[in-house]
Amino acid sequence: MEFLSLSDLKEVLKVKQERKDLAKCIAGGTNFVPDMRSREVSFEQIIDLTALEELNHIKEENGTLSIGALTSISDIASSPVIGKLSPVLSRAAGQLGNPLTRNRATIGGNLANASPAADMAPPLLALDAEIHMERWEQEERKIPIDQFFLGPNKTMLEDDEIITRITFTSPKNPTKGSHFKLGLRNSMAISVVSIAVMLEMNGSECRKARVGLGAVAPKPVRAYRAEKILEGKELDETLIEQCAAIVKEDISPISDIRASAEYRKLVASTLLKRTLREALEGREK
Amino acid sequence: MPGERKTDMSSRDGYQIIGKPMPRHDAWDKALGKTKYADDFSMPGMLYGKVLRSRYPAAKILTIDTSEAERLPGVEAVLTAKDVPNNETVTRFGQTHEVGGFEGLYRVLADKKIRYMGEGIALIAAKTQEIAEKAAKLIRVDYEMLPGVFDPVEAMKPGAYQVGESESNVICNYKVRKGHIEEGFAQSDIIIENTYRVPHVEHAFLEPDSGVAWIDENDVITIRVSTQVMEHFRGVADVLGIPHNQVRVVVPMVGGGFGSKEDITVETYLALLTQRTGKPVKMTYTREESILVTSKRHPYVMKYKTGATKDGKLVALEAELISDAGAHIYLSPWVLLYSTVNATGPYDITHVKVDAYTVLTNNTFCSANRGFGVPQVCFAYESQMDELAKRLNLSPLEIRKKNYLKKGDALATGRVLNYAVETQQTAEKTSAALGELSKPRLPNEKIGRGIASGMMSYGRMVFLHDTSRSYVGVELDGSVTVKCGVQDIGGGQASSLASIAAEVLGVSMKDVKVFIGDTALTPIAGTTTATRQLYMSGNATLSAATEVKNNILNKAGQMMEAHPGDLVIRDKRIHVRGVPSRFITLESAIKACAAEGIPLYNVAQFKGPFRELIDFKTGQGQVFPDFTFGSHAAEVAVDTETGSVKLLKLIACYDVGRAINPLSVEGQLEGGALYGLGYALTEKIILDKGITLTPSFSEYLIPTSLDAPDVKTIIVESGGGAGPFGAKGIGEPACVSVAPAIANAVCNAIGARIFDLPLTPEKILRALKKIS
Amino acid sequence: MEIKLNGELRKVDVSPWETLLEVLRNKLGATEVKNGCSKGDCGACAVILDERPVNSCLTLALQANGKEVVTLKGIGTEEKLHPLQKCFIEGGAIQCGFCTAGHIVSAKALLDKNPRPTRDEIREAISGNLCRCTGYKKIVEAIEGAALEA
Repeated sequence: MEFLSLSDLKEVLKVKQERKDLAKCIAGGTNFVPDMRSREVSFEQIIDLTALEELNHIKEENGTLSIGALTSISDIASSPVIGKLSPVLSRAAGQLGNPLTRNRATIGGNLANASPAADMAPPLLALDAEIHMERWEQEERKIPIDQFFLGPNKTMLEDDEIITRITFTSPKNPTKGSHFKLGLRNSMAISVVSIAVMLEMNGSECRKARVGLGAVAPKPVRAYRAEKILEGKELDETLIEQCAAIVKEDISPISDIRASAEYRKLVASTLLKRTLREALEGREK
Repeated sequence: MPGERKTDMSSRDGYQIIGKPMPRHDAWDKALGKTKYADDFSMPGMLYGKVLRSRYPAAKILTIDTSEAERLPGVEAVLTAKDVPNNETVTRFGQTHEVGGFEGLYRVLADKKIRYMGEGIALIAAKTQEIAEKAAKLIRVDYEMLPGVFDPVEAMKPGAYQVGESESNVICNYKVRKGHIEEGFAQSDIIIENTYRVPHVEHAFLEPDSGVAWIDENDVITIRVSTQVMEHFRGVADVLGIPHNQVRVVVPMVGGGFGSKEDITVETYLALLTQRTGKPVKMTYTREESILVTSKRHPYVMKYKTGATKDGKLVALEAELISDAGAHIYLSPWVLLYSTVNATGPYDITHVKVDAYTVLTNNTFCSANRGFGVPQVCFAYESQMDELAKRLNLSPLEIRKKNYLKKGDALATGRVLNYAVETQQTAEKTSAALGELSKPRLPNEKIGRGIASGMMSYGRMVFLHDTSRSYVGVELDGSVTVKCGVQDIGGGQASSLASIAAEVLGVSMKDVKVFIGDTALTPIAGTTTATRQLYMSGNATLSAATEVKNNILNKAGQMMEAHPGDLVIRDKRIHVRGVPSRFITLESAIKACAAEGIPLYNVAQFKGPFRELIDFKTGQGQVFPDFTFGSHAAEVAVDTETGSVKLLKLIACYDVGRAINPLSVEGQLEGGALYGLGYALTEKIILDKGITLTPSFSEYLIPTSLDAPDVKTIIVESGGGAGPFGAKGIGEPACVSVAPAIANAVCNAIGARIFDLPLTPEKILRALKKIS
Repeated sequence: MEIKLNGELRKVDVSPWETLLEVLRNKLGATEVKNGCSKGDCGACAVILDERPVNSCLTLALQANGKEVVTLKGIGTEEKLHPLQKCFIEGGAIQCGFCTAGHIVSAKALLDKNPRPTRDEIREAISGNLCRCTGYKKIVEAIEGAALEA
């Protein structure tokens, strides 16, 4: 097995193009290392991405926020830029894993690993983010995040591509958001249900609604039916209740060691109500 | 800051060290990273050991082919059952298993039949860990799957799958009979019947099981191992078929045990591999291995039927306890006995009938886990007390006060409580410390409060005739040496001995060196289990130190023409009490003793009470030396939309007799509170047909710093314990009544009771009827 | 590879799949860094890597090539105890001691960035470090005390 520490993106893409899945990329290693040690590996090269400075950034340009794939979760959690423009993302980042893992885990790694409970996915879904990918000698392509995930640990990323950055438009004022992660303890908890809500308001009317959910389906999902109920309407309790009822159709949770499907359905519905109310009140805990 | 104390006994009695909060003597090395735990130690030429383990919980082994593994370069030994001189050793206890007797089988490597997933089948020693793991993958085992049985109630039924080799899966059963139970229920104005269930639980010590073994120049197999019981050297020697004095166990500081390291873990494997290869061998379990294959806390199904008068006086208790012993017997019969004797709790009940069973299944074997069968029954009996209180319109504290056993009362087993019993005081104090009821911070939040009282023995079962020995010696320059075979698992077992010796001999902690845990070189002090070390080894050390002090003071008395009883040793001087100007140096007295051959050392033995076996048909008789009594109180905030529980307040108050080191006692109460908190809310080893679905700390959730409430500790010092200076043990008692206090608080908050642990958010929503 | 371990330059041969934890313990003699789970679930292996506290069990050794690593032994010595060590010792925050190194590392990293943390900030900073013995209370108090002394 070979270890490659590459500091140029082009070099990385070239190796990936030549070796495809025989060369695996490591960023923070928080998923990679335990996975590697728990099963027989077929790859022959490890490409260490952590020296790719160009992929480690948080930039706001002309109303678009760009976060490099190698940006650590702790940097996202403490970024004043993100804290100001998309606090739901800060919040989710601050609750991923624990402080030690947050210093290594990266946003690109969290998305590429594509756990159905990926902590960064719900807020990015609510922000209508786009995932940018590159491969050797081809133009960058981008996919809306709600098309990026295909199933548990499966994404649109090809075996010769890497995620370079994640972008989203700065939410227009006034946009209200909220986020909630439900776990079985207060740190180092895999989500039982996680939800992020973004509401672009026009007075008391909701112009655009985005709801991202994690741990309630084979992949992180948008609650399209619930969003449709909200858009173009005056938000009131009745509407919120309707939303909460219909979100159960947007999700397909399983029963596992952490919770049953019924519990997840009920709580997803409850948390949608809670986050919608919190977003409207401009109150985020 | 120290917790509240009933009296400042240390200043009243003039102690210099006892009763003062102070750092433990081993704290410096731990803070500096100098302490070498089992895996931190290496020997030149050391090999790495690995166990090949069964992939199925119930199976027949048809063939094992180790040839390819043996051929792998770097592999120096591959052993299976046939290579073990005495692969099976049996301990027999009692007459028949229908009346409490049992046969404990210790099988080193599985031979023909697999009883649980993870059971060891083969041992490998290789030049590197990597090669050892590769070799394990090259061993071919042919299994024939067997149906297995995974529920103890099912396993008790006639015709159930036979887990072991004897006819019945029921290992043994115990009874308590006091009075006439039918009469009791006839006299009851109210009867409450419920079935309580508690799960498999993992100890989750931070240091995975580990050890290094080698053969020394005397041909002695030396095993340096993280263990609570160094006396397993005898069991290891028996397996190898060599004399006991040819196996030596050395115990470094242990990174937590909580009962899991009470049974043999890596010792036998290491001894076999080092004997075979002639080289040092290290074996350290992975965390997953440790969770999968080492002992668990027994799950119980507990049927409780409690009868009381309308005034709240308990009249009758009928309990049926069934515990899942898992695949091998280990300590299950003793855990069951603890549950049986403690099934009534610290209450006076006129008519009692207990029937307790422990049953083999193909689940992971269960054995000692902090509390040893008591946390389970405490959850049941304290939940019952609150249920009674609710029905009778009495407060939880009121109903308990009507029923607490007091000093001089007898347990349902007839044992008269002859040491201090301060349960009521602890309940009153914890209740009072709850203070004002917190207000809900959100519309969907409900606040609830609960208390629970508990009792837990300290000292081993008296028919085991427990002893401990300790050596205390004064060097020629006045420095002090303590040698005692205690195993220090983090509870300050070694440091307490230093405190005691320093107090008696009038020196400071810095003047005392403690040597522990070496079967060849330190007097055997017994197991670090059963909350016994302070009681047993503390008393032995106290005796030994006192004997040495008396020798020195007798000599000094002669030299000073004073009565030895009037002399005090302090600051390296011996002076007449109250007249510090009249003194001689300690060194001069020591030298005088040495010149005359007066011993400056003593090895003292302390014996626990020696009693005969109780009658297992009636449960009558004494089982334990004494008990520690106390209470917990909790206030919770329940999110009634998600079921999440937040601990707002958690208060612990236990009577420890005497706090030798209040910092240590607080530490045990604070740690015990969290051990119980996890039991109440998040901890469950999930086994599905014998397969562990929670094999890592990602799935098995113990409390983190963000889950910990600010635990308030109140230390009561009645002075009425059997330990040194009137101390009682606290290690296990500290966790026994936590879960029921929290369960009672949750029930109070949501108005519905949950009968099984842990109280997950989902169960709470189900109890609130939000999920059908 | 080469790292600066507690201020000292160290060269060592490693394999691509070796973690920083394994190399520290097995090849560089840094047994004060503990292995509690090898999965990033317990924090016993915490070290400061280029000024950030991380799980050394989740870092491949070669990812630390050319970087600075600080362990418990780089935080204080017998001659010069760090206030964290002093407060842990005096406050009874050490029982079995196995989690101590990881906790002190996380606490040191916290105090380096935030010299006067609140209790909540302390609890948050050590929320990736498990302890089974102490219940965390005396650990939090020790870190609070050390912040005042440092």
